[in-house]
Amino acid sequence: MITATLNEYLILSGVLFALGFLGVLLRRNTLVIFMSLELMLVASALALVAFSRYNHTLDGNVFVFFILTVAAAEVAVGLAIIVALFRQRRTIQVDELDSLKH
Amino acid sequence: MTMLSHALFVLLLPLGSAAVIALFLRRAGAIASILSVVTATAIAAIAVILALHPERFEASMEWLRLGDFSVRLGVKYDDLAALMLCIVGIVGLCVQVFSLGYMHEDGAKARYFGGLSIFMFSMIGLTLADNLFMMFIFWELVGYSSYALIGHWHERASASDAAKKAFITNRVGDFGFLLGIILCYWANGTVNLTELGAGHVSSRLIPLLLFCGAVGKSAQLPLQVWLPDAMEGPTPVSALIHAATMVAAGIYMLCRINVLMVPDALTVIMWVGTATAVYAAFCALTQRDIKKVLAYSTLSQLGYMVAAFGLGSLAVDHHGHRLVIAAGVGAAMFHLTTHAFFKALLFLGSGSVIHGCHHEQDIFKMGGLRTRMPVTFWTFTIGVAAIIGLPFLAGFFSKDAILYLAYANNRAVFAVLALTAILTALYMTRLWRITFFGEPRSEAAAHAHEGGPTLTLPLVVLAVLAVVGGYRAHYPAGFEGVFSQVPEAEGTDHLVILLTSLFVLAVGAGTALAFYRPAATDALEDQAPGLYRWLAAKLWFDELYGYYIDKVQQRGAMLLNYLEQIFLAGVIIRGLAGLVGLVGLGARALHVGRLNVYVYWFLFGVVALWLFATGVF
Repeated sequence: MITATLNEYLILSGVLFALGFLGVLLRRNTLVIFMSLELMLVASALALVAFSRYNHTLDGNVFVFFILTVAAAEVAVGLAIIVALFRQRRTIQVDELDSLKH
Repeated sequence: MTMLSHALFVLLLPLGSAAVIALFLRRAGAIASILSVVTATAIAAIAVILALHPERFEASMEWLRLGDFSVRLGVKYDDLAALMLCIVGIVGLCVQVFSLGYMHEDGAKARYFGGLSIFMFSMIGLTLADNLFMMFIFWELVGYSSYALIGHWHERASASDAAKKAFITNRVGDFGFLLGIILCYWANGTVNLTELGAGHVSSRLIPLLLFCGAVGKSAQLPLQVWLPDAMEGPTPVSALIHAATMVAAGIYMLCRINVLMVPDALTVIMWVGTATAVYAAFCALTQRDIKKVLAYSTLSQLGYMVAAFGLGSLAVDHHGHRLVIAAGVGAAMFHLTTHAFFKALLFLGSGSVIHGCHHEQDIFKMGGLRTRMPVTFWTFTIGVAAIIGLPFLAGFFSKDAILYLAYANNRAVFAVLALTAILTALYMTRLWRITFFGEPRSEAAAHAHEGGPTLTLPLVVLAVLAVVGGYRAHYPAGFEGVFSQVPEAEGTDHLVILLTSLFVLAVGAGTALAFYRPAATDALEDQAPGLYRWLAAKLWFDELYGYYIDKVQQRGAMLLNYLEQIFLAGVIIRGLAGLVGLVGLGARALHVGRLNVYVYWFLFGVVALWLFATGVF
């Protein structure tokens, strides 16, 4: 059985985080940006779990519980905002959501 | 009531009248005028009551304290103040009654009488002031009321210009006055007149700086230019302010600070007064406007008073022992008193003439008024006789006192003052002859008529005063402190002075009677046009000041304005604003409103923070 080392977990976590960040940077759809944000969150959660296992402590796992709880609430609020935004403006493309400036 | 409360009452009464007029009676000219005249009557009555009462007092209270420095307001009521208060009260009453008739048709009567009231307040405050700071406050207030009343007919550009000229010229003198007061306070630690009298630092600079104030207010050389122009104001104002009281305030102030005088300062004062006297007398020779002649005559007489003050003290024999008296104060105040009566009379007489001739002021367009305006003619004649020093009239005695003082102290001044007396007789007789005799030379003069009793009654009262004003022995005892200082010639001096004054009178009046005929043109202009033009140029004072202001001061101001525009407003203020604007422009460029851009900035921030945290920079 192939056992993954800490390095591989952290590399995976970094790749996921980078993907999420690039998604936030480059995508124009608010929903996708939102999903990318979640990906970044999950990437950090993965790193925490990996550290927890490697150190044989539960600290990281406890952190992840909290992160998942907060993330669930955050997703609920964030999605609600996006839905409300869509109802208001009939679009969720960030290029068109520039009324703060114009 | 105590005498002090009388004094406070007489001070505050005209202020109350002015306040009531300004607040409630602006549209009610008739009521305002009556209120003002009633106030003036009360002032005159209280002034006389105060003077007759033997009590003389001083009182003061603190008004302002800044650390060690305190300004007090107070009343110093001595014989000098009593005399001045009576002059202000009596002449003020005559002028206000006269104004009732003269300003009857005026559209802004309330403003006019309010102005007179505030003037009375200021003048009484100046008279009663017990220290130089308080005097300065009222000094500026009389300047203000003079400004307001000269510019009464402000719709005429010449009147508002004259008002500004009077105010600004006075400010020049007042600046010196203020410096003098500050220096006096700095040197002595007090500006209270009585305390200064008890002991003070001897200084040449302080009296000369204080004298600057008198030069401005009493229109002495070289600040005399405003007074002839001030004749743009209504004639009663000219009588009250620019002949009898305010312009005399400079002389009064000098008499108040007599104790500060030192011989060198007195010499300067003497020569300034003498020069003004003779200069103004020459100027008066060529004037065509009846009020301008009187204005220059006033200048000349004020010069007389200043010269008299500058001639200083005199040692006299008094029952066998020598006694030094402040003869300058006595002679100056005596002439101030008689001059106030006869010059107010002459001005009101000219006002009556102007009123009768429908505001014609050119004496060459008058003539024949002797029969048409008999009361004005006779009272004016008394005024002329008094000013040229006809024996037994007011001017004779006071002018003799000055001439005697000059004779005893300085023969050069005596000669110049005697020449001035000749000129005075000359121009006053010229004025009198051309105005009242011959045939009417204009439509207005042909239809001239005497005004009502409000116009003639003050003339009669002042004429009586101009006749009896010289008999100082018969004045109430309350003025003894001043009149005991009047020098009196005895023995051969007396004869010399008497002969001199008769001689100058005969020469001056005789020349005028022989030379000037009631005609439409000036005899001097016809026969000696070069001399006439030279005299009419008045030594180019106005032109000189005009040149200075236009070419020097104005250009300096333009240069400063230019520098201000470039450096202060341009580089510093606009530069700073531009810098801030530039920063704002840059900061605004970051704020584009796109989410992605903000994320890039966020990334940039995180990277920067990371670099910082890892110690890259």
